[in-house]
Amino acid sequence: MKKFLALLLLATVAVAQPSYEAPMPGPPPDTRPDTLRRAYLERVNETLDWYLEAIDPAKPLTREQALVKLVRREDADLASQRILELLAEPQSGDMFWMFPWTAIAFAGRDQLSPEARAAIRDAWRTYFPMRGDTENHWVMYYSSLFLMTELYPGEPGETWFNGKSSAENHAEARDFLLHWMDIATTIGQGEFNATHYIGEYAIPMLYLATWSEDPAMRQRGRMLLDLLMAELADNTLHGVLRGPNARTDDNSVIQRWHALATYFSWTMYGHIPPPPHYGGWGIYFAIAAAHYDPPPLFYRIATDREYDREQHDHKRSRRRWRYSDVEMMPVYKTGYIRRDYAVGSYQGGLSDPIQAHVWDVTWAVPDPRGVHNTIFSTHPLSSSRVLQMYFTEYPDWMIDLLASQGKPSYGVPDKILSCSPYEQVFQDLDTIIALYDIPPGIVHQRINGFFSKDLLDVTEAKSGWIFARGGNTYLAYRPLAPYAWEDLLGYRQLPRTGGSGYVWERFRPEGEVDRILVSPHPQNGTIVQAASADEFASFAAFQAAINALPLAFTLQPTPAVKFTTLRGKQVEFTYGAAPVLDGKPVGYTSWKLFEGPHLNAELGARKITISHGRQHRVLDFNTVTTTDYVTP
Amino acid sequence: MKKTLLAFPLLWLLTGLLAGAVPAHDLYLFGAVNIGGRVIGSRDTAKNGVYVRTAEGGFAHRGINYPAMLTGSFDPRDPRVFHVAALCGVLTTTDGGHSWRIGTSWDMTEPKSVMVDPNAPDTVYAALPDGLGVSTDRGHSWQRREQGLPARGKYTQVVTVDRTSAGRVFAGCETGIYFTEDGAKNWRRVFVTVDTVTDIRQSPHEERVWLATTQSAGALISRDSGLTWAGVSGLPADQALYNVAFDATTRGRIAIASWSLGLFTSEDGGATWTVRNAGLPANHRVWRNAVDPDTGRLYAAVDGEALFTSDDFGHTWRRDGLETSRIQSFVFVPRTQP
Repeated sequence: MKKFLALLLLATVAVAQPSYEAPMPGPPPDTRPDTLRRAYLERVNETLDWYLEAIDPAKPLTREQALVKLVRREDADLASQRILELLAEPQSGDMFWMFPWTAIAFAGRDQLSPEARAAIRDAWRTYFPMRGDTENHWVMYYSSLFLMTELYPGEPGETWFNGKSSAENHAEARDFLLHWMDIATTIGQGEFNATHYIGEYAIPMLYLATWSEDPAMRQRGRMLLDLLMAELADNTLHGVLRGPNARTDDNSVIQRWHALATYFSWTMYGHIPPPPHYGGWGIYFAIAAAHYDPPPLFYRIATDREYDREQHDHKRSRRRWRYSDVEMMPVYKTGYIRRDYAVGSYQGGLSDPIQAHVWDVTWAVPDPRGVHNTIFSTHPLSSSRVLQMYFTEYPDWMIDLLASQGKPSYGVPDKILSCSPYEQVFQDLDTIIALYDIPPGIVHQRINGFFSKDLLDVTEAKSGWIFARGGNTYLAYRPLAPYAWEDLLGYRQLPRTGGSGYVWERFRPEGEVDRILVSPHPQNGTIVQAASADEFASFAAFQAAINALPLAFTLQPTPAVKFTTLRGKQVEFTYGAAPVLDGKPVGYTSWKLFEGPHLNAELGARKITISHGRQHRVLDFNTVTTTDYVTP
Repeated sequence: MKKTLLAFPLLWLLTGLLAGAVPAHDLYLFGAVNIGGRVIGSRDTAKNGVYVRTAEGGFAHRGINYPAMLTGSFDPRDPRVFHVAALCGVLTTTDGGHSWRIGTSWDMTEPKSVMVDPNAPDTVYAALPDGLGVSTDRGHSWQRREQGLPARGKYTQVVTVDRTSAGRVFAGCETGIYFTEDGAKNWRRVFVTVDTVTDIRQSPHEERVWLATTQSAGALISRDSGLTWAGVSGLPADQALYNVAFDATTRGRIAIASWSLGLFTSEDGGATWTVRNAGLPANHRVWRNAVDPDTGRLYAAVDGEALFTSDDFGHTWRRDGLETSRIQSFVFVPRTQP
């Protein structure tokens, strides 16, 4: 993806001002379905136009430009010629190769020259893409294989890269896809709330919905896409996807807008600018997006932030291969959204080994571009054994490998992207309590709290609370152990002089920099309380209210907190024990797949109801049906 | 790289002439070059997967470009038939690597090792990260056979078949060494570990002697055909040992590779050990080692660096090409007529 974006940046583009550089979008003139549909298609077409307008007659078409030409049914001869050139080169990219070429094969099946179509078909014999090691890899791989074996049915094994016949590949792909869809709709998605990987599910589901010959698979693809987009609508704050995230990255975790998920928010709902260059991979959604019809119901879920709501979801961790009693850890995800801010978390522990983000408070801003509108803390775990749980690799090279493969922060002490088995989190509405109990010998023995450059009036009170303002949100952050401040350094890639792989240096960004609150104490904790500025006469009044809240805690031998929240809830939370809320233990095991005002489903029921007000859509994966209804 | 590869054939030919014999084995390597920056999905057209030592002593890429091939095992009746543990499953070729078929389905992935039963070569075993797979039709189809393996704790890094008896197999798992005498129908644990067993090998000289390497229990030896195991003294246990290789040409010579510690050799059957990193790069991360069964040449695959060879069992080394590579395994295949 990085190389793809770099190529885009290098391209000289002279186009109308793209939405990612335009002023913040306003609301549509009305919210009638045809108006919303028209606006959706305009955004889709903007993405397509951007690629076409970037064509330099002196240069060959990119693969994406050739694809858009086919989608627009323009210059099929030129696209055919370019496809022959592209396929004459050695191929690579694995499943990231498969779905683009699937899109080209389908978009061009009635336009491309026989030679170009034959070259595409032959590439699926000669190039052996790897299946990968994550769910998103597999979904891309098998969706592509499913569709291509429908396009070329009845062909023998020697005509496919993996030696299996069309029928064998189609059956295997179908089995996997049904398996994945089943667990996603019974115990929850593994790579939930992913800031970038959402595209790697949404695009394959759109392709199944658009091109499969199997009506049931078309329907399932559309239903899964509905579910992904409904969850996105529900989990975003004015279009910005916030935590927790099974997978994100060092940039998106603090500049919450800067993510492929924002491309989907923009395309679907239009209330936020897309990320630069439409997120890179966004084009692969746009080329088939006209075949999807986002329900107006989802638009309302995404844009209505005038009432407070709490959502509880059941998710699961990435698959654990070893050193764990469970194959997948259940993830209990809480989201609380108000007009001015959102608070989200899961219960702590290991959901994904390298890119998980456990909790944060994210506040609304007039324009999220370049703004680091979030606050959280984390234990910067670096553990070979944890990596081995999730990766089938040898023990002592993976930490180095991650940096060389483009994930520079994994092993560093000041990282802010982490989950840890030594962090336990409880959330009630807009209160977060995170407790840490880090055994000796664990790397690293500290807690990092992220404090944005965009916070205002950061005040360290004698009470021990740290107060700040973010947008129209008041924030109170209580570190439970002594701390110091460090500037958060960035990561800059260096040219490599020998060997292979990425080499990085740390650097201090220009201008105002983010800070991290470093608390080098293994028994530790963080309490964060958020509130809307509208609730208080002044920032001082908010501080006074927080200072007055009953709080008692101890860190030895085990961190434990008794706290009365700003909302009057009494929380007792001891590391290693179930949280107690108003005298009652919180039992996660009774959580449903979805429970809240917008998404509801029983665990294991395969039937999800998506609601806003009186409007409802039921996705029933038992009967493979979608039902819309309105309550009187 | 080209220069080194060109220099290598001369040395190899010279060694062969001095040895006075045509090698009785072909050498296959499984691995990848240009490893550092690759992630799944990378745009990278380097040739990876299977390499075969050429008659001139270089290495030629064979078949498909597949960066994540770990090891292979050959049908003793026909060396054109072999099975490869690859990221996507077990691949089988019947024409020496020109065409391939993946026999496993989506429910078996990332096998870490594969081995043909030399006494029942239609049967192939695969070490899986969630157990054990068996094919009884030359890799065309696969079933799980895990009776006796724990429900959790069966991550399997290596599977090795006893050359003396069909269906006698050892599995190196995250919780120890497991053993079957009935072709994987029933397993029992013969040694307990708290971390993964990384390799299990049978001595070419004494069929009852086996060695194993582990992640945190050092090296292990069995002198009773694998029924009991004991620690090998003189080797560290605080860092992972990756694999063990016997020298078939010289009794008592053994080499062990470690990414963190480099290369250890013993010339007295494991009674004493010597670090043999002098002449290897400062970053002597030895991913894999092997000993040529024809010449006794010692190979060390230094991760991300190159292939290194030694004709004096590690006293001196020379760089022998395959720059920036990760050689996952060396397989010496007897030259037989199909």
